[in-house]
Amino acid sequence: MIMDYAFFTWLTPYLGAILTLLLNRAGKSRDIIAVLAIFGSAIFSTLVLQEELTANHAIHISYPWISSIGVTFGVYIDSLSAFMALIVAWLSFLIAIYSLKYMEGDSGLTRYWFFFDFFVGNMLLLVLADNLVLMFLGWEGTGLASYALIGHWYTDEDRRCMGDIGRKALGKPMWFSPSHAGLRAMVFTRLGNVGFVAGIGALYYLTGTFSIPGIAQKVVQWAGPLAHNGLLFPFLLLFSLGAFAKSAQFPFHEWLVTAMAGPTSVSALIHAATMVKAGVYFLLRFSPIFVLAAQEIPAARPQVHAFFSTVAIIGGFTAFFMATQALVARELKLILAFSTASQLGYMFLALGSAGLIAEFPLGFLAGLSHLMSHAIFKASLFLVAGAVIHVVRSRFIDDMGGLWKIMKWSFLAMSLAALSLMGMPPFMGFWTKDTIIEVAHESGVFIGYFFGVVTAMLTAFYSTRMVIRTFLYEKSENVLRLEEEHRLHEVHLLMLLPYLTLALLAFIIGLVWPIYGTELLKAMVSNVLGIADKFYPSLEFNLGMLAISLAMMFMGILIAIGLYYTSGGRKWIHTAIKNPTGKVLHDFLYDRWYINSIYYIVIVEGFAWLSRTIFKYFETLMIDGFYHCFIPWLTNKLSILGFKYFETDVIDDTYNDRVVKAFKALGSAVRKIQTGIINQYLLVFFLGLMLILLYLLLWMG
Amino acid sequence: MFLSIVIPMIISLVFPFLNWRKKAFATISTILLLIPLAVISWLSVIYGLREPVLDPVFFSNPAIGNFSMLLDSISAPLAISIGLVTSMIAWYSLKYMDHRFEEMKKEDHKPASWGVYYMLYILFSATMIGTVLSNNLIEFYIFLEVALLPSFLLIAFYGYGKRERIALLYLIWAHVGALSFLVGALVLGLNVGTFDYFNPIKIVANLGLGETLPEAIRFAAFMTIVIGLFVKMAVFGVHIWLPYAHAEAPTTVSALLSSNLIGIAGYALIRIAYVLFPADFRAIAPYMLGWALLTIIYGGLMALAQDDFKRFLAYSSVSQMGYILMGVASVSAIGMAGALMHYAAHAIGKALLFATAGVLITQLHGLRSLSKMGGLASKMPITASLALIGFMHITGVPPSLGLWSEILILTGVANFAIEINQFISTTILLLIGIGLSTAYSFIAMKRIFFGKTTESTEHAIEARWTLLIPMIVIAAVGMIFFLMPQFLVDPMISSLNNLLKLPVPG
Repeated sequence: MIMDYAFFTWLTPYLGAILTLLLNRAGKSRDIIAVLAIFGSAIFSTLVLQEELTANHAIHISYPWISSIGVTFGVYIDSLSAFMALIVAWLSFLIAIYSLKYMEGDSGLTRYWFFFDFFVGNMLLLVLADNLVLMFLGWEGTGLASYALIGHWYTDEDRRCMGDIGRKALGKPMWFSPSHAGLRAMVFTRLGNVGFVAGIGALYYLTGTFSIPGIAQKVVQWAGPLAHNGLLFPFLLLFSLGAFAKSAQFPFHEWLVTAMAGPTSVSALIHAATMVKAGVYFLLRFSPIFVLAAQEIPAARPQVHAFFSTVAIIGGFTAFFMATQALVARELKLILAFSTASQLGYMFLALGSAGLIAEFPLGFLAGLSHLMSHAIFKASLFLVAGAVIHVVRSRFIDDMGGLWKIMKWSFLAMSLAALSLMGMPPFMGFWTKDTIIEVAHESGVFIGYFFGVVTAMLTAFYSTRMVIRTFLYEKSENVLRLEEEHRLHEVHLLMLLPYLTLALLAFIIGLVWPIYGTELLKAMVSNVLGIADKFYPSLEFNLGMLAISLAMMFMGILIAIGLYYTSGGRKWIHTAIKNPTGKVLHDFLYDRWYINSIYYIVIVEGFAWLSRTIFKYFETLMIDGFYHCFIPWLTNKLSILGFKYFETDVIDDTYNDRVVKAFKALGSAVRKIQTGIINQYLLVFFLGLMLILLYLLLWMG
Repeated sequence: MFLSIVIPMIISLVFPFLNWRKKAFATISTILLLIPLAVISWLSVIYGLREPVLDPVFFSNPAIGNFSMLLDSISAPLAISIGLVTSMIAWYSLKYMDHRFEEMKKEDHKPASWGVYYMLYILFSATMIGTVLSNNLIEFYIFLEVALLPSFLLIAFYGYGKRERIALLYLIWAHVGALSFLVGALVLGLNVGTFDYFNPIKIVANLGLGETLPEAIRFAAFMTIVIGLFVKMAVFGVHIWLPYAHAEAPTTVSALLSSNLIGIAGYALIRIAYVLFPADFRAIAPYMLGWALLTIIYGGLMALAQDDFKRFLAYSSVSQMGYILMGVASVSAIGMAGALMHYAAHAIGKALLFATAGVLITQLHGLRSLSKMGGLASKMPITASLALIGFMHITGVPPSLGLWSEILILTGVANFAIEINQFISTTILLLIGIGLSTAYSFIAMKRIFFGKTTESTEHAIEARWTLLIPMIVIAAVGMIFFLMPQFLVDPMISSLNNLLKLPVPG
């Protein structure tokens, strides 16, 4: 009983969600209750972590739910899920406080808070679930909340859209309304979920259990047969498909970009700090088990390796690919969205490499710790972005610039968080990102390592550019105008405090990392499902590689300063974009490598064309025509034919008469489908019924 | 149970001769239809569905067998959802049919009276429950045929468009299916000497009964039954009647046809086709799975091409029947349980969606074209939420019952696909199928409720509570079942396991 409050970690936000519905008209107190529910959840998550660290073994509590198929209502707490729950709950709480002010005066607040709390509940459920079905339930729940919150401003005014209104690439529109963006998020992520459920089904078939620790225990039972049939590699890919889609890895990345049409608080919570991490969490949860499979079954080894290499390559590519798009983005939130997907790519790279190296826990920790640090600094960046957009009333960085004097604290927060993002020592991001690059190097997947290093430079470039364009660049017309009207100001404390706290946190944790870092990492990996060996992390660095990645980073920063902070650089950029090669390159990156357009041309329009064509030619002409035109026509013709035949050739008049009449009757009967005389049909119908009954009665007698 | 079904039917027969006000009709009808629901729910709760609950045999004949009413974990989800949807839609009918009557008067038609409407409605509803609770082929057939007549008349009297022609088309198609079924049933029953598929005296399913037939006619008999059920269920190839009937029926009737009637055939595939011919059923199961996937994808594609909201819903029903067929075809307890749960989930979801279509028709002067809709969420927030819940049920998004059916069906199908070595191909087809279902559902949601308002939706206002409350009740039941699926699923899995594990004679 002692740990039953672990359930409250995710039950409290659900309760909060229901209360917000009931307090529909209560205004402020509804909002405060919604925030308090999340606060409660944060407290519980802290207690759970404390309990877990003192217990020093995994805690598994479950109650029967659907006992016939072994679906339980339970929590599984090991150091992974406990840390994850802690991060999710506290971040949600800080962002909820921010929302209090940020969303003030919105007309759909009940809906906003309902889905906000509903999301937090689902996210924590997915983290703490002890079986796959429960995890999937939370997984789908977060998807629904994400859909609803992206489309929060469903009336689709232009100012709520994302992208340049009117811009087209390859003839396809490149701006997206909130409801369209929500739809995209739903469809993209659910595609992956199909693979997830099919994988769950296959595991259940092979092991007879949905339980996550059960899957780890019975690893030979499921991985064995799959490996021997050569199915393990495709199975692992399908099973992880949900993770790829949720974490916006290539080729599922497009939905996350347009998800920025939602309120910024939502982007910070769902599309930066928590939900998109669910895919990474999935890999953290299950990759130790996959590694276990490779250890236990020799036949599985090459297939498991193939899987991890795929993860590493896709992760590395996504990191690079999304970072290139961040270089030219003009919307503040869009830069951050690209950056998020790129950083998620880093985490995938870490976990993919982890499975390929001897010391799996090292890669595991690289992924987990970067997840944590990214959650902190990226949430902070998004919240600052929300504040800035709110103040300058525009989402484009062209309408910003020179804000640092007015919004000093925001400037400080964004700079700290951005330094963490680019991996400047001694910020938190430095420690975590560098381990990833090291692990990638060790894995032997050169292409992954290469992407990791190049992306370090790109990250430094776009982060610096973002800070300069927002706060240090010359003031834009929009800013000058607003300044004249005295409408520029630092934001309210309720908004400021959350992101300043987070930015400082990223800085302070980074500062103390050399002292407490190893302790923290050790606690994180102290007991993780599937990792049996004790692991002692250390802070040793490969100096050569450290030098490379730091050089990359400084190069990125210097180029950005040179281009955006000097007048010569600015001039150069103006001319470079106008020159033909520059323009082609710019448009290629700006229009997201044309992948969005290609999806629309090939998939969306492909299916639309298919559905129209089949409907027009097959459904209407063939099927409908066959049953409702051809068959009546045929019967009609037959009756005429029969008439002719019998009239000329058959001598017996009475026989002739009868048959012809019968044929005629049949023909005209079927033809009446067209004309519709009901009474006769009713008669036929009743006669048929009577005949059958009569037949039965006679037969009985 | 028998009485709870027959009494409302008998009472309803006097409706046309009464001169009540419409409100009285609506109230009495709702109450009458709540009787079977109450009886069935009560029996389900006190017996916990662990053991079959049987009526005393009310008709017995050495040649035909025994007619009783059988409520067990397999028929319960159907009986309960039919009871729920029919009673709630009876209430909903009051406002909706009011609008329909006025519309018809404007077109200079003289619709049959309220009494006739409610009589037919009750006959239709009650006989559907009878069909589900039958334990004998002839009993099943009679109920099915009797259900056909009132639904036919409802379309002919109150439908849209060329209603007489479409009613006829519906009648003939349904008749073709039923007759094919009957032929198979007669061949079987006359040869083996009983029509019982569940023996109410020994309280045991007549598993493998059909396989005692002579080899020459066995498979033919099995196939005629299956094909008959396929026509009723409107799977790909024989689905063409459904979009006509469901689109042009009065919306209250579409709700019943779509949520309740067609799925019964899926249930009968388990209850009748599998039980009587287990070995043959297993033999054709892989083809059924393929056909199910085809139906899902085809129905989804066709739904995407529609502009008429009701036709869109009709095609989505075709695609949803594919899911039920897929669960059935997995020949596993978990997949079949998923199919039965999906019947309930689809019943709830489609009832909500057709009711939404009805709300839009009443509030927007008969508007059905998706391209003319838009921006309605701000004008009709409650309707929008209910429609979203409806779409969640058919796509399997929590917190809706649909999540469970999705998990159960897919788990069953994954099992079966691995067995027949088609795991990867099946999953890829599922990816397309479920992708299409998600896409068409949420695209429709966006087209109707989001974006800017159009000329036709500018002045929309939220519907009256008489329309909304029945929908809210249906949605609430869906959510409650989501939280407590174990009361249905647990007994269902154990009885299906018994059916699947029993040694097959011959």
